[in-house]
Amino acid sequence: MNQAPVSCIPNSKMSKAKKVLDEARSTGNPELDLMEKGISSFEEMPGLLNMANITRLTLSHNKIVDVPPGLANLVNLEILTLFNNYIEELPVSLSSMPKLRILNLGMNRLNALPRGFGAFPVLEVLDLTYNNLNEESFPANFFILETLRALYLGDNDFEFIPPEIGQLKNLQILVLRDNDLIELPKEIGDLTRLRELHIQGNRLTVLPPEIGQLDLVGNKSVLKMDYNPWVAPIADQLQVGISHVIDYIRSETYRYLFSRHVSVRGPPPPKYIDKTNKLSRNRRNL
Amino acid sequence: MWHKGTPGTPVKPLALQSLDHSQLYQRRVQNLLDEQNHDIEESDKFSPTTGDYEDLSEHSWTDDRNSVSSAVWSSSQPLSSSLSSNNSPPLLPARTSTMAKQSSQLTREDARSDVHLIGNRITGNMSLGNMFCSRCGDGFEPHEKIVNSNGELWHTQCFVCAQCFRPFPDGTFYEFEGRKYCEHDFHVLFAPCCGKCGEFVIGRVIKAMNANWHPRCFRCEVCSKELADLGFIRNQGRALCHECNAQAKAVGLGKYICHKCHGVIDDKPLRFRGEVYHPYHFNCASCKIELNSDAREVKSRPGFTSNEMNELYCLRCHDKMGIPICGACRRPIEERVVTALGKHWHVEHFVCAKCEKPFLGHRHYEKKGLAYCETHYHQLFGNLCFVCNQVIAGDVFTALNKAWCVHHFACSVCDQKMNQKTKFYECDLKPVCKKCYDKYPAELRRRLRKTHEATPKKASV
Ligand SMILES: [Zn+2]
Ligand SMILES: [Zn+2]
Ligand SMILES: [Zn+2]
Ligand SMILES: [Zn+2]
Ligand SMILES: [Zn+2]
Ligand SMILES: [Zn+2]
Ligand SMILES: [Zn+2]
Ligand SMILES: [Zn+2]
Repeated sequence: MNQAPVSCIPNSKMSKAKKVLDEARSTGNPELDLMEKGISSFEEMPGLLNMANITRLTLSHNKIVDVPPGLANLVNLEILTLFNNYIEELPVSLSSMPKLRILNLGMNRLNALPRGFGAFPVLEVLDLTYNNLNEESFPANFFILETLRALYLGDNDFEFIPPEIGQLKNLQILVLRDNDLIELPKEIGDLTRLRELHIQGNRLTVLPPEIGQLDLVGNKSVLKMDYNPWVAPIADQLQVGISHVIDYIRSETYRYLFSRHVSVRGPPPPKYIDKTNKLSRNRRNL
Repeated sequence: MWHKGTPGTPVKPLALQSLDHSQLYQRRVQNLLDEQNHDIEESDKFSPTTGDYEDLSEHSWTDDRNSVSSAVWSSSQPLSSSLSSNNSPPLLPARTSTMAKQSSQLTREDARSDVHLIGNRITGNMSLGNMFCSRCGDGFEPHEKIVNSNGELWHTQCFVCAQCFRPFPDGTFYEFEGRKYCEHDFHVLFAPCCGKCGEFVIGRVIKAMNANWHPRCFRCEVCSKELADLGFIRNQGRALCHECNAQAKAVGLGKYICHKCHGVIDDKPLRFRGEVYHPYHFNCASCKIELNSDAREVKSRPGFTSNEMNELYCLRCHDKMGIPICGACRRPIEERVVTALGKHWHVEHFVCAKCEKPFLGHRHYEKKGLAYCETHYHQLFGNLCFVCNQVIAGDVFTALNKAWCVHHFACSVCDQKMNQKTKFYECDLKPVCKKCYDKYPAELRRRLRKTHEATPKKASV
């Protein structure tokens, strides 16, 4: 591993982050803004893990590879933003953070989530956009995240979503944009509070009729479903509008079509997006 | 000659004759038909399964010297069923008594009755030479005691029970199909048993509900009133008096029974001290007007759980008393009053318009005259901050199907605050500041542009 010894950290880098920390310590500001500081290691932020008072830590646009288990010492942290770093792995301890409500891990290089990841006691918003996750990446307990109200999984590699998704009873926002989804589980229909569903840019041909149970056409609701190889009747309705799609999948006609479609399922449509140039694919030493 | 009936009473010649039971049957049949017509008229007000049964002694009469208590079973049941019923006791036994002992009954009479006369003296122009015992056929000694029953004569030793061959105790016998029986054997052989107490039924027999009863044993199964003279209604296999049947029917229809008069309450009942009543049984405690169902029950000792002190007021007097009325249940509020939305409420009736859970002192949010809990206010009106998930008290930033409080409207990537003048981009309906968006990899920006999400936006306040 090319983790640099502390003594090798360039002074200029160290001073940038250190300045913010010192300032925060002197003012007692519980919100730490450390984005775009060229940070590649938590060791460049001495004393950070002892600042138990901080409630927000923003480390977007850095080059962090490793997240130390000690991060969980920040027991008052409510918002943790690690967007656009080089993180491949997360410590198990993260899910024990007692007050963490918003966790943004977008645009990293995650291939999996650590075991026990579903144990966050109060997590409300989880952003995993633009990583390398698929249905194998979820640890067994992931779907016990009952407090979750928004789950962002856009720009990943999911072909399927586990039916356990139906257990996320408080989910209001589910983003699955630009994955490789071949089908959706009918259990999405159990997410009675869902008001935003983004499934555009996948390989979906049909929707489970159960989605018709959801309120996705009100003026407070969003359903984005373009750029999928929909069967002709759905594609036709989509041309006229989302509400027509919902009306249609609620019909008996569609139920029949859906059951026939499922029973004579052909090979899945080809992958839709070329992801070879995805930033998240880059190995950090390439 | 036998003298029948009291002077001046019409006497049917037929009655003189005897114990010819085929004739008796015939006449009883006639009686039955007469009775039936009469009773069916009466039973029109009952349900079709009703039966009324009459006293056996009603139509009996006695002659002036020899007491006769003849039994008459009459029935308003359809004749055919009475007669065809095999296991029912004989319909028409004649009860006859040898000696006049019941002088008090001698005045009774009835032209339709059947008559059996028994004497112990020879009268008229009869002579010993042409008299023979009906049982053994022998003649009689002079001065021998002869039993005369309806023109037939017996040696005293021959005038015995057809079953036990013993003389009739007290001279009382029962005759059936030409044979005479002592009371004991007649009961054993023919008399009906009461469906309730199991004893023989002597005298008046009530035939109802496919059984026989003593009049005192045939009672309403709910209130135990004797039904013999009142008639009854069959209700689900039970014999009920008319009142109890009406109540059973009313309860079945979901109607209330007035606690005072036990009548069915057809209109709205008045609740008072835990019971329901016809409102018209009460008057307003203040103006004395007769009450209707709008009347209000008022706790005269607030805080007491016992309702014995409660009083009733008409709506007008009640409103004048100034007791707050709950905006939900329209009933007076005696304990804690919640005032909200310009109305008064019972604490437990001031509830979220969506989930109907009482606020019980917790914060509520008002919108268009309705109150909501925090969760449902947000769910319906969307004014919960996307970041802090709290209802937004002050200015609200709304964009991208979401709302933010002034503290939390920020770039979703770098958490830097934005305001209504800040231009931002949208990704998955989250705001992204221009600086952050420019850091997005080119291939992602290309895709976002393609899906028309990459146009800068501004929040509205
Ligand atoms: Zn009895
Ligand atoms: Zn009764
Ligand atoms: Zn009454
Ligand atoms: Zn009054
Ligand atoms: Zn009330
Ligand atoms: Zn509610
Ligand atoms: Zn907020
Ligand atoms: Zn930003």
